[in-house]
Amino acid sequence: MSGLWRGWITPRGRRVLEKKLNIEAAAALVPDGSTIALGGLSMNSSPMALVRELIRQEKRDLTVVAIVNGLAVDWLAAAGCVRRVLTGLVSFEGMGLAPNFRHAVESGMLAVEEYSEYLLIARLRAAATNLPFMPTKAGLGTDVLALHPDTTRLETDPVTGEAYVACTPLPVDIAIVHAHAADGFGNVRVDPKLVWMDNEIVNAAGTTIVTVEKIIPHREFVAEPHRTTYPRFIVDAVVEVPWGAYPTSCFPRYTHDKEFFAAYSTAARAPAQFQQYFSEQVLGPETHAAFLQANGGVGTVMRIRRRTT
Amino acid sequence: MSPVPATAGYTTDELMIVTLARQFDNFTRAFNGAVSFIPVCAYLLARKTHAPDLVWAASSIAIDADPARLGESTLSDSIWEGAAMLSNSPFDFWVFAQGRRYNTFAFRGAQIDRFGNVNNTVIGSYDQPKVRLPGGGGMADLGCMVPDIYLWSTTHNPKIFVEKLDFRSGIGWGDGGNHREALGLPGGPRLCVTNLCVMDFHPQSKAMRLKSLHPEVSVATVRESTGFEVLLPECEVPLTDPPGEEELRILREEVDPTSMRLREFK
Repeated sequence: MSGLWRGWITPRGRRVLEKKLNIEAAAALVPDGSTIALGGLSMNSSPMALVRELIRQEKRDLTVVAIVNGLAVDWLAAAGCVRRVLTGLVSFEGMGLAPNFRHAVESGMLAVEEYSEYLLIARLRAAATNLPFMPTKAGLGTDVLALHPDTTRLETDPVTGEAYVACTPLPVDIAIVHAHAADGFGNVRVDPKLVWMDNEIVNAAGTTIVTVEKIIPHREFVAEPHRTTYPRFIVDAVVEVPWGAYPTSCFPRYTHDKEFFAAYSTAARAPAQFQQYFSEQVLGPETHAAFLQANGGVGTVMRIRRRTT
Repeated sequence: MSPVPATAGYTTDELMIVTLARQFDNFTRAFNGAVSFIPVCAYLLARKTHAPDLVWAASSIAIDADPARLGESTLSDSIWEGAAMLSNSPFDFWVFAQGRRYNTFAFRGAQIDRFGNVNNTVIGSYDQPKVRLPGGGGMADLGCMVPDIYLWSTTHNPKIFVEKLDFRSGIGWGDGGNHREALGLPGGPRLCVTNLCVMDFHPQSKAMRLKSLHPEVSVATVRESTGFEVLLPECEVPLTDPPGEEELRILREEVDPTSMRLREFK
């Protein structure tokens, strides 16, 4: 981020950078051609509001790292924003294949570098910890290793003679994750705790953008520092977007919207009409709140809300 | 395809789940991935019957979950109710899996070969696929990490049980024989339960071998429905043990009262 220093003086007199951005400004941090990594897993906790904004800003030639994903990659594929996907899996689970992802790959418009979940984690960890490689036994005996012999190298430990896979660093330009709360300085809380693998991409990334359900006062972080998930110095921007993971879930606040997935999959069965549906129902609304409104509004909220456990 | 006759008092899904559940015991420490209603029901059924100490991490996250009913995703918070712990995936789950603290996992695949290797990546060539499938996800990892692997398929046909996979997303017994052992990998596939039959693996060659037939299914039907030569046991092939009354009641009333398991039969 450039320009004038924007910041705050904490109650203890420290000068701290202000990290709060609106969603347009946060999405503008992502240049065409960059490598972004998306948080969440499958139907859960993807940064959908920011992904929507990336599409609205017509990003191009992105490389997307998504360990296990569905709708976010499918949107980006439908909009032609993405050139390459590094992933373990992209699907709508029991609701079927991700239709636009599938079509883009089968028609040669989108390249998939398939890794397994743990091979991706190992590559991200190598990047996060500045190591030449991370060893694992994951992938041995499968065809996955042969897809990328340079980044998942089959090696033998010279001491024990054991076979292992050396996973080379996977540097990420920008990690984009969704969480529950942040303060204006970029301290982030995943509430009640981090369950998916978002920390792996945050740790490997040069820049991290976090969308959150709510911006809360800094003093709440100081009062309960044990609840902080990411500290401010590894977070570059926080954006307040209530329901920001919708239509995916944000445990324990809301679950994924199965009706959105069903409607979306149905629309994708008629490619001629899909683009109209996609631009009206998904991309058209100016804000994420308007997007939620266009897809059921209060009725949807009542349906996806979870009682906290 | 549902070969079990209506008069049997149980259905194919129930037979598959009960068969799997009986494989598990108090030392089973299991977890599940996406679209895994059959094994999820089997873990819960085993825990509610003969294996109360069985460990199951719902979606690989929620340990000892006890959902009142199953949701439409087996990889989401919809099945986490009643859990004693929500794991962190990288630091708990992946460490437990590699450390063999978890010992049981169940696979299915768009293609399965005679050695229990699976493909969930592409049909056709990798670079120009006829069908781009979801991807292996954690298959390539967990096939290497977990010693007790179970396979299931609700549609036993020659398109799924193939001579050669288009892509090996996850390893079962690899090339057969001692291949797994030579790679330094623990255990291997134990059983493959389908809508037609139950198969195990020959102790030496590790090739799939018919173990029991579901009602109304013949050896010939299994052979016609399998794209490779399935081994036959020395003896006559027995009938798959039918579910018991109490197992059926618990499955229907307590484990999966809304029949989400039928989502795997299309």
